[in-house]
Amino acid sequence: MKQYWEELTKGIWKKNPILIIGIGMCPTLAVSTSISNALWMTLAATIVLVCSNILVSMVKSIVPGHIRIPIFITIIAAFVTIVELTLNAFQPAVYQALGIFIPLIVVNCIILGRAEEFANKNGIIFSALDGIGMGLGFGLTLTVLAMIREILGANKLFGLTLIPGMEPSSAMIIAPGAFFTLAFMLCGMNYINSRKKE
Amino acid sequence: MNNIVKPTLVLGLIALVASMALSHIKKITYPNILKQEKEKQERALAMVLPGYAVGDKVTVKVDGGDFSYWPAHKDESGAVKKAYAFITSSTGYSGDVVSMVGVDEAGTILGLSILQQGETPGLGARSVEVASKNTFWQTITGNAKEEGEMSPWFQQQFTGLNGKNKITIIKKGDWDPSIKDELLSRNAITAITGATITSRATIKGVEKGMDSLAKALEAASQAAPAGAQSITGGAR
Amino acid sequence: MEIKVLFTILISTIFINNYVLYQILGLCPFLGVSKKLDSALGMGLAVIFVMTLASFITYLVYKYILVPYDITYLRTIFFILVIAALVQLVEMIIEKTSPGLYQALGIFLPLITTNCAVLGVAVLNINSGFIDAEMGLLKSVIQGFGGGVGFTLALLLMAGIRERLELAEIPENLKGLPITFIIAGIMALAFLGFSGMKI
Repeated sequence: MKQYWEELTKGIWKKNPILIIGIGMCPTLAVSTSISNALWMTLAATIVLVCSNILVSMVKSIVPGHIRIPIFITIIAAFVTIVELTLNAFQPAVYQALGIFIPLIVVNCIILGRAEEFANKNGIIFSALDGIGMGLGFGLTLTVLAMIREILGANKLFGLTLIPGMEPSSAMIIAPGAFFTLAFMLCGMNYINSRKKE
Repeated sequence: MNNIVKPTLVLGLIALVASMALSHIKKITYPNILKQEKEKQERALAMVLPGYAVGDKVTVKVDGGDFSYWPAHKDESGAVKKAYAFITSSTGYSGDVVSMVGVDEAGTILGLSILQQGETPGLGARSVEVASKNTFWQTITGNAKEEGEMSPWFQQQFTGLNGKNKITIIKKGDWDPSIKDELLSRNAITAITGATITSRATIKGVEKGMDSLAKALEAASQAAPAGAQSITGGAR
Repeated sequence: MEIKVLFTILISTIFINNYVLYQILGLCPFLGVSKKLDSALGMGLAVIFVMTLASFITYLVYKYILVPYDITYLRTIFFILVIAALVQLVEMIIEKTSPGLYQALGIFLPLITTNCAVLGVAVLNINSGFIDAEMGLLKSVIQGFGGGVGFTLALLLMAGIRERLELAEIPENLKGLPITFIIAGIMALAFLGFSGMKI
């Protein structure tokens, strides 16, 4: 039982895909302009991650070793297309807002990385838990980042104005703000981890 | 040989299964996607031609490209007023800004609705922003005021401007009712802060569309004897 | 007139809409391969090559396979497979014909498949409306080439700075990724200056 719990929670802090492993940066930085974008991206990426982890761990024994990467990519791309079609049909506004970053979930290193590194070596249940945990870790980081950027860059939270009449710093909402915010989050993470060691 | 054939077969098989699964999903979602798009177009038509009966879409060739417009009419104290809606696009910061514009015969813009844009979130993408006047604190403490129907401020400021004259940009920050008269008298809009390119692209789209509309109408009136070109299609 | 349009696309993808510093695409190789100048140059050249070719082929695939058979919803799957196959092919060709170049680029080529700038440019070519546009193929190829050049530019600048950074004294907690992101942020701010360019 403890092991299941371990696989589920490791993604949130100990092996956080973004802050510790350092993968999946592009969608993290690009869609963290508002909390609602961050939450929808988390949902989309987590669904793809969990489904592809499960399927990869199911087919791992029949896949010839040297062509496994193209096969994993095909599986991931199929799930991404399912998510893309579903969002387009039922949440067109979200589909518009996330734009190019929905098809780009395919090349999110977290998903291929977990398929190759974890699902390819572990059973179905562990793979599913790993997917959920990694998705949560990704989502949590993304949401914190988005919250900081939305407050500073748009003077808003969940799309509602915080301080009327204040002009926000629009640099925070574009690329530089994304880089700076993540830099300080990583720095904070390093600080906490180094304090723990002592 | 075998180590080429087998992987190819496995990969082909997986690709086949994946495409079959996807085509199934597509069948389920496609009607909804079409419905959404149709509703979006109808909403846009109602927004840019308020109160008008809109006729059927007309597509003609203008300057080598396709140009679509909708003729519309409205009875106002006995006289029939004619108006047109058209779809136009212009290059913004990233990709095209596609908008639908409604104008009456004098060239006064009755409404503008941005159908598609891929501009920077938080900057150019604010062209479709529908801003709530309530603040975050008012909402969570339950003090939010009733706002009625909210409309996107950037698109709304085009209403009432003259599309046949040059529309200018003045930088006054976000739109609010106090600058409305000044903007109207100067035939101008206020740009989105930090996204002048998007604002300019929207105006350019209007200019381009007005130009194409004039050419299309002229061609139509030459093809048909005067008076006969009036209204294609009736009220829906 | 057309030359001007093409030139505009080229300049805007290299400087104004720089894939790394404005659109935030292709960060993994940007962070991973920017420690040394010569490997950054190798990676950059490989990316320019693959992005240009990928733009060319995905354009043809989309226009002459996906659109006629009405299967544009399979876009993502087709594009990523085309890119993966292309990268493999390029690797094989370079290995056979030019061992010197292969030694320089070899290890970077497999990494390019998951470089989101490559898939990004393929999707952006479609989203920019190049499919129905006049000279769309040329425009796509130029956008791909410009994207690759912009990526290389950012990568080389970053590698140059990071080589110097090795010798600098940095607070313990900022070492590694955090300081790299701060530099990327400052570079992105500098690149914003290009957005005032009127072309």
